[in-house]
Amino acid sequence: MISKTLASVLLSEATAFGADFAEIYLEDTLSSNLSMENGKIEERISTNGYGVGVRVLKGLQSAYGYTSDLSKKSLIKLAQDVGKAFSGERVLTPPPLSKVKVKETINLSARPAEVVSVTEKVALLTLANDTMASYDKRIVRTNVYLSDMVKKVTIFNTLGRQVEDTRRRARLYMIAVAAENGKFETAGEGPGASDGFDFFTEKIKIQEMALETAKSAITLLGAAECPSGKMPVVIGNGFGGVIFHEACGHPFEASAVSKKLSVFWDKLGKQVANPVVSAVDDGTIPFGWGSTNVDDEGFPTQRVQLIKDGVLTNFMIDQFNGRRMNVEHNGHSRRQNYKFEPTSRMTNTYIENGPHTVEQIIAATSYGLYAKKMGGGSVNPATGEFNFAVSEGYMIRDGKIAEPVKGAALVGKGDETLSKIDMVANDLARAQGMCGAASGSIPTDVGQPTIRVTEITVGGRRGGQ
Amino acid sequence: MAKFNTYFALAKAKGIEVFELYYSRSKSLSFKLYNSQIEGYKLSEDISLYARGVYQGKIGYASTEKITKESAEFLVNEIVTNAGTVTKEELAIIFKGSEKYKKKTVYNPALAELPIEVKKQNLFAVEQKLKAADPRIAQVNACTYQERESEAILMNSYGLKLKRKSNSYYYYAGVLAIQGEERKSEGEVHFSNDPTTFNIDRFVNKITSKVLLKFNGTQCASKDYKVVLDKEVVADLLAAYLDSASAEEVQKNTSLMIGKLNQPVASKKLTILETPLKKNPFFTYFDDEGVATYNKTVIKKGVLQTYFHNLNTAHKAGVTTTGNGYRSGGKIGVGFQNITLKPGKKSLETLFATIGEGVYITEVMGVHASLNPQSGNFSLQANGFLIENGQRGTALTLITVAGNLVDLFMNVKDVASDNELLSSGYDVPSLYIKKLAISGK
Repeated sequence: MISKTLASVLLSEATAFGADFAEIYLEDTLSSNLSMENGKIEERISTNGYGVGVRVLKGLQSAYGYTSDLSKKSLIKLAQDVGKAFSGERVLTPPPLSKVKVKETINLSARPAEVVSVTEKVALLTLANDTMASYDKRIVRTNVYLSDMVKKVTIFNTLGRQVEDTRRRARLYMIAVAAENGKFETAGEGPGASDGFDFFTEKIKIQEMALETAKSAITLLGAAECPSGKMPVVIGNGFGGVIFHEACGHPFEASAVSKKLSVFWDKLGKQVANPVVSAVDDGTIPFGWGSTNVDDEGFPTQRVQLIKDGVLTNFMIDQFNGRRMNVEHNGHSRRQNYKFEPTSRMTNTYIENGPHTVEQIIAATSYGLYAKKMGGGSVNPATGEFNFAVSEGYMIRDGKIAEPVKGAALVGKGDETLSKIDMVANDLARAQGMCGAASGSIPTDVGQPTIRVTEITVGGRRGGQ
Repeated sequence: MAKFNTYFALAKAKGIEVFELYYSRSKSLSFKLYNSQIEGYKLSEDISLYARGVYQGKIGYASTEKITKESAEFLVNEIVTNAGTVTKEELAIIFKGSEKYKKKTVYNPALAELPIEVKKQNLFAVEQKLKAADPRIAQVNACTYQERESEAILMNSYGLKLKRKSNSYYYYAGVLAIQGEERKSEGEVHFSNDPTTFNIDRFVNKITSKVLLKFNGTQCASKDYKVVLDKEVVADLLAAYLDSASAEEVQKNTSLMIGKLNQPVASKKLTILETPLKKNPFFTYFDDEGVATYNKTVIKKGVLQTYFHNLNTAHKAGVTTTGNGYRSGGKIGVGFQNITLKPGKKSLETLFATIGEGVYITEVMGVHASLNPQSGNFSLQANGFLIENGQRGTALTLITVAGNLVDLFMNVKDVASDNELLSSGYDVPSLYIKKLAISGK
């Protein structure tokens, strides 16, 4: 722990050479990971992450340092060394610190995971495991993982703020592997929340999810290789939102926008999508996987309307990149842990419900790919080029869902794809993911209703048709 | 390291039969430029203590970055709880020690001796030269220097105590180039522990020539092509393929190389070695279980010579460990260091000439998402060039390359002579593949 007195000393040391802002981020995280394979517990690993990050800003320059050695001597040296990254006269005398009351809306869990016995957690894993394993003889392997953590952060800064926040998250990940004639196929599902153990026992239906997962793996066994070429693609709800996350979410982050690295940097107020498309990033959703009470600079998180009726309305902005853009931050500064300097990141990002139904979209498509479930992907923010994997797909023929296909990758450019979304259904769902970028790997929700893109390049192993 | 005695005493008192600690500490310094200014400066100190213990015949894991009076108690208690949770039937092994270790010094004092000012000047020079190289280079969007020193000690209650120390640095730069409506980006890393290996002009030329060649990019017709994979792409795909040589994957029935010991798993043109004792920043003389490492041929003229084993997989298979027990996600798994693919005799240009018409792939994206390690199937976003009239021709953009890892490595028709130790630790050449499906138009 760092006392208020010590924090004041550190802020003062860090600003001795011209910094106009300084911040101390203290973190103490306890996490546990339980893993089961084929019904047996393989291991449980307990980890205590612990350290302090000191950040100073001077105009458009920043310096950052961190350590896990929290002795007074080590911290003062760190604050001095980080402060010395600048060479100048003191321009700021840090004001006295006062504790800011954090409005707790996110982590009001009835049963935090850390008080639940290991036996009860094992029972949950067993339920998911047994459901998948007994679905079909061709399910040859099952893995279930449960990770939960409680992260306590304290942030002090030269705005006189002392902010404390406790974040609890838990996620279960299940994988079913099906095999037939020497071929293996895998399906997985990973529900999680900023919530306690009751999320799994009360709020979602683990058994149904496990059944769906096993079913997906079996379906893939019978799937043909996906054809390739340019075609209309209908992207399923929930994790299908990963396309928007990669293709638009990253280029909407201030880190890319402020340096004009994003293709959208000068598109504010302009029509970037069909009027059926509206999109949001909302860090305030109660129990949301990507939600927090305050961001990692200690400011309250916000709901930001990114696109309204096809018009680009806002970006996700942190304090530092906001300076370059001459705009206020909007509670979107995040980091994996104390080892990372925070920057603008997504929280829970999704396309809002639109005017169509799933049935209308399928019926309106004479030939194309229905990407029911998506895998991961990546994007180059400078060019907007993205790729992502389809984990469960079907061909659409004559307005009907036809045979299952596998092995498809979708590639394209974010701005082009966004402008080619022409139908949006009304079945919005969110799904959980981990997003990796400059400030580390952080939990984010992706989401959307079922949408149609008039043309995307589909890479499949079957070749052109 | 007398301060860890209390940990061992407490472990013993709580009934932990064998106890192991792995203490690591590293320091790094980095700075980055943007618009000819030092935009970011970072100092870091990482401290971790990983503990393992055998309790009632099962193994328990715990780790902490919080090294205080309470940490021994935290680690020991968690190990007891965690070991008690395990139901998998597996021998719990902590290693007594190898007979001989081939320790070498890889720490290079010259790196720390070179003044920081010189490194800063180098970085400024990189940025300046990139900007001046061509009017189409619109931005230097990344320009970073980082250096790191790491040391680690592995100690256990059998009295084994092993230490390692290393250092390294890298320069990383990336540019955005614009021509009309086309935006192209390119980046490059120079990784080493010898400061004399960094040549500013060579580094800058590599980036600028790569990015400018990308203009006037098009998509080729979707069909099968003769393909040359650049060494960077070979490293990505080989890393994924060699995961199948992990005995852990084999024993879990998820490897592409099950039952392939002493059988062909690749074209006769391929010989692949693991050389952890090669003197470079990736050198390590013991693995994370404390087993002495050694150099070995993994694939000889296409034939699989050995799987990668740790103590546990070796015990199950009735063989000796190959010194490939590495920590991943907190627990000991199977890993490998310093992979070398033996070069062939032809230059890249000669390969193009041999092929006549085909595709040269220089980048693949999305390996983590669009390659299925179990089936070996992949479909990846790629960039590259057409090979036209035996030469590198039109740039290709937003194409996908699809295939299967086993087929790909079986279908290697020739190996280029352009080996280079990449920042990923792979020392590999470019490869000519008989046939791969490319989609574009």
